[in-house]
Amino acid sequence: MSQISYGTINDRVVQSMEPPGRPWLVSMVLVLSALSMGVFAWSYQLRQGLEYSGISHPIAWGVYITNFVFWIGIGHAGTLISAVLYLVRAPFRNSIYRASEAMTVFAVMTAGLFPVIHLGRAWFAYWLLPYPNQRELWVNFKSPLLWDVFAISTYMSVSIAFFILGLIPDLAAIRDESKGPKRFFYKMASLGFRGTNHQWLHYMRGYLLFAAIATPLVFSVHSIVSWDFAMASVPGWHSTIFAPYFVAGAIFSGCAMVLTIMIPLRKAFPGFSEIIQVKHLESMGKMIVFTSLIVTYSYAVEFFIAYYSGARYERALFWFRPFGEMRVFFWLMIFCNCLVPLPLFIKKFRTSIPALFIISILVNVGMWLERFNIVGTSLAHEYDPFAWGSYQFEWVEIWITIGSFGWFFMWFFIFVKIMPSIAVAEMKETLPPPFRNKR
Amino acid sequence: MKQKFCGVWATYEFLDDTCETIKELRNSGFNKITTHAPCPRHEIDHALGDPQSRVPFFTLAGAFVGFGLAILIIYKMTLSWILPVSGKPVISIPIMGPIAFELSVLLSIFFTAGAIVLLILKDTLRHPGPISKKYKDYNRFMRDRFGVVVACEENQLSAIESIMKKYQAEEVNSET
Repeated sequence: MSQISYGTINDRVVQSMEPPGRPWLVSMVLVLSALSMGVFAWSYQLRQGLEYSGISHPIAWGVYITNFVFWIGIGHAGTLISAVLYLVRAPFRNSIYRASEAMTVFAVMTAGLFPVIHLGRAWFAYWLLPYPNQRELWVNFKSPLLWDVFAISTYMSVSIAFFILGLIPDLAAIRDESKGPKRFFYKMASLGFRGTNHQWLHYMRGYLLFAAIATPLVFSVHSIVSWDFAMASVPGWHSTIFAPYFVAGAIFSGCAMVLTIMIPLRKAFPGFSEIIQVKHLESMGKMIVFTSLIVTYSYAVEFFIAYYSGARYERALFWFRPFGEMRVFFWLMIFCNCLVPLPLFIKKFRTSIPALFIISILVNVGMWLERFNIVGTSLAHEYDPFAWGSYQFEWVEIWITIGSFGWFFMWFFIFVKIMPSIAVAEMKETLPPPFRNKR
Repeated sequence: MKQKFCGVWATYEFLDDTCETIKELRNSGFNKITTHAPCPRHEIDHALGDPQSRVPFFTLAGAFVGFGLAILIIYKMTLSWILPVSGKPVISIPIMGPIAFELSVLLSIFFTAGAIVLLILKDTLRHPGPISKKYKDYNRFMRDRFGVVVACEENQLSAIESIMKKYQAEEVNSET
């Protein structure tokens, strides 16, 4: 890091934004193929109806709601890293926060699609919003689903605003390094920012306030998502532990996705390896193992409450999860979320890039399974044995799920080529400033 | 109407030279100072006398407006269409919590973003910078150079130039 100067950071970021090479183009073709299949599957579902997804009685919330919660969870790490770690001045934040923020914006954009897809008749999605109408029929403010509409819309708006605000000085830096039409584009995008004391004064105060406001928002959003479940009197859902349990799970999966993205990014742009250092990835590894322990504890508490409360329906459900016909999902979840992160207690694994990459992917798989366990198994095994059932995955929802990854990565690939994926100004802040008289 | 500027601007490689220049300029009575830096530096803020931003007042105002708006729409819409839900009161205080919180956050963010833009515009109009092509085309302020711009009367140009040169400015430019 000592060889890096203010100018070097600009150079590295400009290099990453050069016209794409073959690996980028090949990756983009794969991503767009996945997205096209997802769009085709959704259009098929729109034509044929929801019966072509696996949603059926008794599991009326299937893969789509699982995906919604999964992507919202992924979206948590970006704001956590950019806001919470900014407030506590965590030094490892600066090199990874821009890409994490982009990840948040794209993940929330992906998550927002799923309630609409789940509706079936997507053209009625606007019914979720309180809009003036002839019948003066308003939305039900007592429903946690409506709270969710407000929470997700606010979170998306704040994440986008935070992302754009952070980009402005960096776009100004890129503007000054560019020529021709590129320069014109970045000149417009940087809104005339030139790094004057007046600009930095209001900008930095505003940025601090953004971080301070976004921090409780991070915790509130996934708490409200958890209340979609916890407010319903369904065994396995109706629990006061849900809000902190969901927040910890969101941070866990989000941090894992940050590693899943940052490690290839660091590989793709060799200049980034001296900016995104192994110790920064190691810090993310520590956060993963810490949140994994919280998640493991939450699993244990759920089982203990079911046992100690004596509530027979709750007990039946928590017997069904590990030993019922959907047990594969449960044990895979335990393996991925509770056991796989444990090697991160050892420094050798925390500083091994391949180990971190593999663990991060398995944690993502595990967290998807956790959400499916919550959604699927609880609805499959409610109160009345006559209404018990199972879940059959259909090709439509599988392709829509794969397509959602295509959608997410398409935006991310575009982002790394047109926007600075490292926070230029904040990286400069972490460097010792140039002094004539060395202190 | 074409904007006019009379003053001096200089560029620096080192932060301590920049800060010393700012301090001496302020001690000599030159207070119309604008600085440039590739990243925010507290050293420059201290040299400028730690100016304060008024952005937080707007943020607070946004939070109050958002909270008020949330309570208003919930009251208005709930009473406009009575929707009994399992014996719960028609107007329930606890259910206002999440929406009031979210709208307070949303509006405070919008007000903060608006305040940043407005206050920067206000300060930029109050402290107009050099209008020369050389200044506008200088593209190292966001890369690795610091800058000091001082607006002054024509007869003060040489005094400012000498202070800037004393602290080893890379280049000093006067504009009238």
